[in-house]
Amino acid sequence: MTIYNFYIFDRNGVCLYYVEWNRRKQSGMSSEEEFKLMYGMIFSIKSFVNRISPTDVKEGFMTYKTSKYRLHFFETLSGLKFIMNTDLNVGNIRDILQQIYSTIYVEYVIKNPIIELDKPITSELFKTKLDDYMKGLPFFPAKVS
Amino acid sequence: MAALGRQKSNILDKGLGKGKPEVNIATYALLFSEIVQYCQNRVQTVPELQNRLSEMGQHVGSHLLDVLLLREKGYKRELKLLNMLLFIKSNLWKTLFGREADKLELANDDERTYYLIEKEPIVNKFISIPKDKGSLNCAAFTAGILESVLNGANFPAKVTVHWHKGTTFMIKFDESVIARDKLVEGR
Amino acid sequence: MSRQAARGTDIRKVNGELFTLTYGALVSQLMKDYENDEEVNKQLEKMGYNIGVRLIEDFLARANIGRCNDFRETADIISKVAFKMYLGITPVISNWSPSGDEFSLLIENNPLIDFVELPDGHNALNYSNLLTGVLKGALEMVQMDVDVRFVQDQLKGDNLTELRLKFVKRLEDAIPAGED
Repeated sequence: MTIYNFYIFDRNGVCLYYVEWNRRKQSGMSSEEEFKLMYGMIFSIKSFVNRISPTDVKEGFMTYKTSKYRLHFFETLSGLKFIMNTDLNVGNIRDILQQIYSTIYVEYVIKNPIIELDKPITSELFKTKLDDYMKGLPFFPAKVS
Repeated sequence: MAALGRQKSNILDKGLGKGKPEVNIATYALLFSEIVQYCQNRVQTVPELQNRLSEMGQHVGSHLLDVLLLREKGYKRELKLLNMLLFIKSNLWKTLFGREADKLELANDDERTYYLIEKEPIVNKFISIPKDKGSLNCAAFTAGILESVLNGANFPAKVTVHWHKGTTFMIKFDESVIARDKLVEGR
Repeated sequence: MSRQAARGTDIRKVNGELFTLTYGALVSQLMKDYENDEEVNKQLEKMGYNIGVRLIEDFLARANIGRCNDFRETADIISKVAFKMYLGITPVISNWSPSGDEFSLLIENNPLIDFVELPDGHNALNYSNLLTGVLKGALEMVQMDVDVRFVQDQLKGDNLTELRLKFVKRLEDAIPAGED
């Protein structure tokens, strides 16, 4: 079980945070381009999923799967978007993403008056707390490069 | 008393009675953070910011003292320095922060200086910023509360905050306080 | 409090007087820094807005609620969940406009104003104006443009403090460049 990487976007598409642990293949474009692509695609998928839905929409888009990896998506009512790519052995981790939001983002970003909310997060404390949290997850691989 | 002087009669008629209605810590944290931000935008340096916070703390302390003394001790004023300090370490701290301060110490080389130590002050818990030397210690606000409580109780002192053993409040009393205390103690 | 533990169940408290006095210290400081009451009101609203955009995240993280279907639901959540959570009071919702886009929150025991009296010559000061900003900022982050103002103020001699909220419009998510 593996976590490949993780993105946080704000309601305006600004990538607030990106971190990778086990990414084995790069996208071949600059980070900036990749973030734009990721955000744009997610935006479109969300919209598509709701439009095409044959029944009432509740949560909307949550995850997609390929033969090699799975993308997990969680969005708060305030428009914050948490995206995590894992391998296929990881199930539904919506509650994990929610925990990251409520116990790490809110605690170490929102409650820090020095941090500007619409800019990428540079706080060392946040990075450390997130890293610790991830490493404590059962599906985080024991040996990491 | 100076703190109550400017309030009009109908406020004085209201009981202090409600006791300690409590508020969600997040509410306080958000308010306090914004206050720190506000002060930060108006100053240039960290020491200036700590000064501003201390001033605001003093405003709080001056209004708090009478309420506390009246409620906790039936308005009997402390005369002895050590008792006042113990009152602060336990009653005042408990009222404000829900628990006693960690330690009270007398400076080795100076009878005018005492240290009140808190490993992890509540106000710094709210604000998740790095807690290292040279950076802002929001407990300057608490130092302000302490200073005005002591001044109001007739123990004039200066209180400053330092990153040491967690957070240390250095309380330096006026010479007159020490002299008077010696008389009171009959030394 | 374990940071990893589920939130929402663990609400720690702080002494109410400390809160009230801290707010009072802020208003006093603003009155020293700004020339007139209108300016102070503006500053309070601005600071409230800054608080609101953060408070909403804390609220969403704790309260576990879904999107409101209409303004009436919003009013309920604001009064019964949010005000209760953050200020320990439950304002009464009343005075709905016929079109359902405007309502009042009636507050009898505003914790911000304990022990406070407006000093003479400051009748234009909306002492609790922070609240208008908080509501506006928080609602904006969940895509509602809402106008918030004080209609009655206990500090000015009214029996109650009354906040009026008017729904202006829904705010749309910014569409990323290149998408339609």
